Amino acid sequence: MAALTELLGDLVGDVDVLMLFSPSGSYYERAREAAEDVDLVVVATENAVGADGFVELPLSFADVSERIRFGIEGAIDNGYVEDGDALACVTTTFGEEADTLTRVRADAERHSGLYDLFVHSRADPSVIRDVLEVVIELGRKGQKGKPVGALFVVGDAGKVMNTSRPLSYNPFEKSHVHVGDPIVNVMLKEFSRLDGAFVISDSGKIVSAYRYLEASAEGVDIPKGLGTRHMAAASITRETNAVAVVLSESDGLVRAFKGGELVLELDPEAY
Amino acid sequence: MDLASLSLAQVNYLLAVGVFVAALVVGFVIGRLNERVLSAAGVPDAVAGTSVERTARRFGTSIVGIVSQLSAWLFYVLGAVFALAIAGLVNVQALWYRVVGYLPAVVFAVGVLVFGVIVGDKAEVMISERLRGVKVPEIGVLPSAVKYSIVFVAALVALGQLGVATLPLVVAFGAYALAVIVLVAVAAKDLLASGAAGVYLLLNQPYGIGDRVRIGEMAGIVQEMDVFVTQIEDDETEYVVPNRLVFREGVVRER
Repeated sequence: MAALTELLGDLVGDVDVLMLFSPSGSYYERAREAAEDVDLVVVATENAVGADGFVELPLSFADVSERIRFGIEGAIDNGYVEDGDALACVTTTFGEEADTLTRVRADAERHSGLYDLFVHSRADPSVIRDVLEVVIELGRKGQKGKPVGALFVVGDAGKVMNTSRPLSYNPFEKSHVHVGDPIVNVMLKEFSRLDGAFVISDSGKIVSAYRYLEASAEGVDIPKGLGTRHMAAASITRETNAVAVVLSESDGLVRAFKGGELVLELDPEAY
Repeated sequence: MDLASLSLAQVNYLLAVGVFVAALVVGFVIGRLNERVLSAAGVPDAVAGTSVERTARRFGTSIVGIVSQLSAWLFYVLGAVFALAIAGLVNVQALWYRVVGYLPAVVFAVGVLVFGVIVGDKAEVMISERLRGVKVPEIGVLPSAVKYSIVFVAALVALGQLGVATLPLVVAFGAYALAVIVLVAVAAKDLLASGAAGVYLLLNQPYGIGDRVRIGEMAGIVQEMDVFVTQIEDDETEYVVPNRLVFREGVVRER
């Protein structure tokens, strides 16, 4: 047993930073006592343990490597971790408790578009998260059991409005609803059968529905096989500083676009 | 028995019983009458669903029931007091002033309180109905504020009826309110002016997100508008314009 501990102990030998993903309060306390000479960074959806080094996860990623990559990128961005640091990451793969340990070397050069999507977009990270949550739920439940497609353009609303035209009367005119409001999920679900895109402002206000996006698709390169909705999403994000979240009607996947490129693809059923 | 043979005391006892019975009858009739009148006046419909009515229902009665019972009991108690006084069992002078002076006040106070709470409830419902068209989720505070103001005033009137010194209460509240108002007015003058303008802008939306506008020197596309500021943006610059400037300078919508 001692030999086994020694063998696996190599994993955490001379690491610079210990990263805990969504730790419980007691686990965090134990880690703090055990890791005196090592920096501690907590990565979670909320800072429940009151850690000094904290990176917020906008979603509880089902994919472990994506979760860890997001955490590392956030830690580098916040200055908790430096390029080339050896990191030990404790996270959960199967159960509720910490069951996975992995050793990673921080690489500042590597960027997943995902972190950039949330943190360096015009719109607030919480707004993007709210939109993603709505879309994921829409993808999971559909509209009255039938699969629906939807397109949300988030941020830079003024410019988006000027590169699009209304398909019909805007049901959100003179309203002041925001994507985070509790009633909105239901409302958006009902409106999702309408054609066209939803436009959402930087602060999460729903500006319009029924928008036909007129951005030019010139130079937009997205994977072959995606339809017009994805093409429209990619081109509007290339022409403006908005990001677009698309629910595909045919394969049911949620995709996010930024700067004309696909940065996130996830399966609503997996959440 | 001959009527003439009765002593003065006996006459008084008989009279007292008579008065008490008469008071019971009058009280009962008045109670019933009140119930009928209130029902006919549509009070049950008017108060249906208010919190007072719900509380009353929980105790197996209703507002109409309470009010009519209250008026009946007023007569019962007065009758009892009269009867006791005529029979010479209590010192009339001592009781008279207190009971007769106090009882109607209690009834009136309860009435005012019930009335105040009902009016408060009704006002809350009415204002929230009126504001339903305004799709701002946070506006729900306003109806509650109106409701509790009305209830507060009713409680003050009721306490005043009972002879509780409400003046310090009013003065304290007034001073507090004044202090808050002065502080807010001085400290947040610009914010208030912007807020007032912003309410108009949000309600009527003379311009919306995506419109190209010019406010004074600043021109661009509206990106965001809230109660206090409007953000407009042109190619290089992003302006955060206080809404009071929108009113002072006026808005030019450019096509």
